[in-house]
Amino acid sequence: MSSPEKLPVVILACQIFESMLADLLPEGLAGEITYFDYGLHRLPQNLQWTLQEAIDAIEQPSLVMVGYGLCGNGLDGIKARQHTLLIPKADDCITMLLGSHKAYMREFESEPGTYYLSKGWLESGSHPLKEYHEIAEKYGPEDADWIMDQQYQHYSRLALVAHKQEDLDKYRPEAEEVARYCERWGYRYEEILGSDAYVRRLVEVAAALDRADEDFVVVPPGGAISQQQFIR
Amino acid sequence: MSDLFEQLATVVLEGESEESPVLVRKALDEGLSPKEILENGLIVGMNEVGVRFRRGDMFVPEVLMSAEAMQMGLDVLRPMLAESNVQMMGKVMLGTVKGDLHDIGKNLVGMMCEGAGFEVINLGFNVDPEVFVEAIKEHKPDIVGMSALLTTTMRAMGYTIKAIEEAGLRDSVKIIVGGAPVDQAFSERIGADGYGANAPGAADLCKQLVGAA
Repeated sequence: MSSPEKLPVVILACQIFESMLADLLPEGLAGEITYFDYGLHRLPQNLQWTLQEAIDAIEQPSLVMVGYGLCGNGLDGIKARQHTLLIPKADDCITMLLGSHKAYMREFESEPGTYYLSKGWLESGSHPLKEYHEIAEKYGPEDADWIMDQQYQHYSRLALVAHKQEDLDKYRPEAEEVARYCERWGYRYEEILGSDAYVRRLVEVAAALDRADEDFVVVPPGGAISQQQFIR
Repeated sequence: MSDLFEQLATVVLEGESEESPVLVRKALDEGLSPKEILENGLIVGMNEVGVRFRRGDMFVPEVLMSAEAMQMGLDVLRPMLAESNVQMMGKVMLGTVKGDLHDIGKNLVGMMCEGAGFEVINLGFNVDPEVFVEAIKEHKPDIVGMSALLTTTMRAMGYTIKAIEEAGLRDSVKIIVGGAPVDQAFSERIGADGYGANAPGAADLCKQLVGAA
């Protein structure tokens, strides 16, 4: 069996990774790259099924860089088949945008009542304002208000996260619109500038698998991804 | 007669919270007992909600509306149930773990357990392990239920069980867990006594654990 370094590299990633990888991927490292729709995590079973199908379709044994976190357990149970899977040991993309698990835990512990916004989540409508509109259309504004309150009243902060300042600037107007809606629960609006450091290392490890450390999950051929692997 | 039960279950399933107390009163007027109305009407409706939610056929907004419909019906029945001593199953204490602010599922579990005859103590959300420990000492529940919605926070369930063990209280309670990222395997790994896949399932589990089902 050829050593992992010699395996062709295939990338299956959430769209959130697209701009970071465009900047960071060295020429010729990856063969096929597929980006999936932002909203797959909404129904984690969907995410699992979609990724598994894509993995199964890869013809020759490859090193598959999976551009996802555990994402609500969407990755749990995915089988590597004949491939080697490389995944960041992250709960979701917020860690990837912040640049490290440490940064994520710092934010999480300092204010657990944070609703995170990212470019991906804004573009896929995964935020309270969009949800309000969808629900109001179905149930009317009064019931929609009540439903939204039940779900979101406990949070205290709305944080826009991006790995570069340009994205913060670009998505600020949309984020502020969401923030205005969220004023009904007294949310504070903040912006957090992260970094691409984690994705940078993901790319390095894809080029040299022996560099994988406790920030990465590596699943050998025949193995499967499990929720347990993501527990630090 | 059974038609009224079916109507009530449907009203709960469809989240018609205004209709629910009206139908409950109608059923009472027709001589049906509070216990029957609760079990064959309200709970049957919420059980179906649980099934559909788990299957992905119902979503949180609809579940919330159904829960409200059940709650409004239960509010009418509550004083009568208290009188007839239906609430004798035991004491269940619920909380969402440290770092987690989600409580809809947990509140649903509370309502279903109340419907099943338990006394329910709700500690709220973002509950520290130490707070669980102190609350167990104070309230002496039969069952402690923990909820988490995030893979980031579900680990706190393990820490909480550890804290309960270290306080020498593990043997005095049954511990159950639930929430979207939780599953049977996880609950076994952390040493919980049971896992509830949805709110009605959690209530049934509680009944089993006190030896009543």
